[in-house]
Amino acid sequence: MSEQSAREVFTNNKEAVLLLLPTLLVIVVFLYWPAIDTFRLSFFQTSLTSERFAGTYNYIRLFTSGSYQNSLLVTFGFGFVVVAGSMLLSLFISFMLYEVDRFTSIYLITAIWPYALPPAVAGLVLLFLLQPDLGILTYWIRSLGAVFGLDLGLDWRTSGPLAFTVVSITAIWKQLGYNIIFMVAAMNNIPNTIDEAAQLDGISRTNRLFKIYVPLMSPTLVFLVVINTIYAFFATFPIIDLMTSGGPGGATNILIYKLFIDAFENFNLGYAAAQSLVLFLVVGVLMYIQLRVTDRYAHYG
Amino acid sequence: MAEIQLENITKRFDDVVAVKDLNLEVKDGEFIVVVGPSGCGKSTTLRMISGLESVSEGTIRIGGVDVTGQEPSDRGIAMVFQNYALYPHMTAKRNMTFGMNSAGSFTDEEIEERAMSAAEILNITDLLDRKPGALSGGERQRVALGRAICRDPQVFLMDEPLSNLDAKLRVQMRAELAKLHDELGTTTVYVTHDQTEAMTLGDRVVVLDGGQLQQVDSPQRLYDFPENRFVAEFIGDPAMNMIAVDVADGTASHPAFTIPLPDADSLSVGSSVLGVRPEDLYLADEREATSPETFEATVSVTEPLGDSLLLHGQIEGHEFKIQAQPRRTITPGDTVELGYDPDRLHLFDRDTGEAIYHSDPAVSVTPPGVTQ
Repeated sequence: MSEQSAREVFTNNKEAVLLLLPTLLVIVVFLYWPAIDTFRLSFFQTSLTSERFAGTYNYIRLFTSGSYQNSLLVTFGFGFVVVAGSMLLSLFISFMLYEVDRFTSIYLITAIWPYALPPAVAGLVLLFLLQPDLGILTYWIRSLGAVFGLDLGLDWRTSGPLAFTVVSITAIWKQLGYNIIFMVAAMNNIPNTIDEAAQLDGISRTNRLFKIYVPLMSPTLVFLVVINTIYAFFATFPIIDLMTSGGPGGATNILIYKLFIDAFENFNLGYAAAQSLVLFLVVGVLMYIQLRVTDRYAHYG
Repeated sequence: MAEIQLENITKRFDDVVAVKDLNLEVKDGEFIVVVGPSGCGKSTTLRMISGLESVSEGTIRIGGVDVTGQEPSDRGIAMVFQNYALYPHMTAKRNMTFGMNSAGSFTDEEIEERAMSAAEILNITDLLDRKPGALSGGERQRVALGRAICRDPQVFLMDEPLSNLDAKLRVQMRAELAKLHDELGTTTVYVTHDQTEAMTLGDRVVVLDGGQLQQVDSPQRLYDFPENRFVAEFIGDPAMNMIAVDVADGTASHPAFTIPLPDADSLSVGSSVLGVRPEDLYLADEREATSPETFEATVSVTEPLGDSLLLHGQIEGHEFKIQAQPRRTITPGDTVELGYDPDRLHLFDRDTGEAIYHSDPAVSVTPPGVTQ
């Protein structure tokens, strides 16, 4: 058999090209072309109606801007808190779900419920629950504080750290379901007899989780760290938009939200284009580091 | 080292009874093999001893201590699994020492010493730095054994430890297990479905069927004096031939033959089942006749096994097997003259399957309801 014939499915190239065309069209129009145009735009100073070549002006402005530096810091903080928080919390919940014998599916559904909500709805739900004056959760927390003689204002509309906390909690809560699905699946893949060997060895639960399960789940965990990073950097946009609009005082103004405001409220497309390129590079580099580091520790079969 | 006592053990899974009212005593230092067909409750029994499975009713004692409600790790046992159950992300050595490290009651030197001596016994000192993925099946099972030895348990529990190995390795490991038991002298409960393993390894063999104890005896006694039809047919390969006969005045009669039962002049139990092992039947021209009479059979299938020739014969439409000498030219359709060993006849009750009579003079079975 010749080398070619093994893979030759179509009688001529035209047919193949024709079939590929719809996909290619979509990719080019909605991905490559915007990406290239963004790159081009980042070197232009723009207004609503005109654009003018400005060299590296946008980039210089960006890195000398205090608000951008703040946004960069907030983003990394937020990313770290959300990824670490949602991973750890999901791991504990998954472990409990894995160990429980009764009502397993009810618990599982309850745990992954938040993931079924669109981010905007999730943001709204927590916005109501945590509303400083009327929210039920804030009421409870305030009542609890009163027991210890604390007068908790909890007005996260004016306090930067509080706003950051609230947005982080929302973002973590929203992502739990996704992580739990994967983690429970990964735990269920661990052979029963390994569990039993651990029982016979008298391994404590914490040791079992971190010294046996986590290493055996590591390929899934690597995947989740990457997905959660992307989530924290990009997909938390609706939560920020709904709950804090980047405020107060830029405390929750993550890069993706800032560039959206610069592009579509301040109509400074060139500046926003430069920001999105930087964001792209930041996430790209981060992902590379994550994969390199975790690859050393992950145990693949 | 310790003895194990199972008292009236019952295990139910919902409405299925897996083990029913099992009583068993394993002596200190004994190697006991539990054997039976799939689903007979042998693994469940082992897992109840280990504590991985709870007991529905009854008491388990290890070394005189009631361990029925104790955690597996507190029972002083070590278990070896069929699929090794090694931690795949740890080296062989870490696999062996992980439990001791976590227990925290051992010094590092102690752990090191135990791991090294276990590795030496099992001849795996070169493999200690490898992960299970880089070990062969036999090596993995050795590491799993090493892990068990490291725990220095009172009791070894083994759940079909050789079943995942290829035939040749299984024979080799079988011998090594026997040697290991001689060296360590630890009480061992060994579960298998393989009767060769049961016969070769066990000081005593426990036969289970349908969750119920059938017989506990030394391998040879189990083979020579099965207490019921199930044991007779389960132990021995090829299985014992069972022929419906009518017994009156010490003679078993069948439309095609009558066989006098030695030393059972007055045995009259009516219709029952006569058991003869294939190796206790022979072709009349092969050796000097030991049986008072011979009878004819038609050969339907021949299976040359190398060391012997297995014939499927027909007498009056009743099929049974004969182990004849090899290198014979016998083809299906031939008629052969058969003899039998009169000291190797067994008689079972047609309804209950209980043994009524063994023709071996050493027999001591006195079945109930038999008038002699």
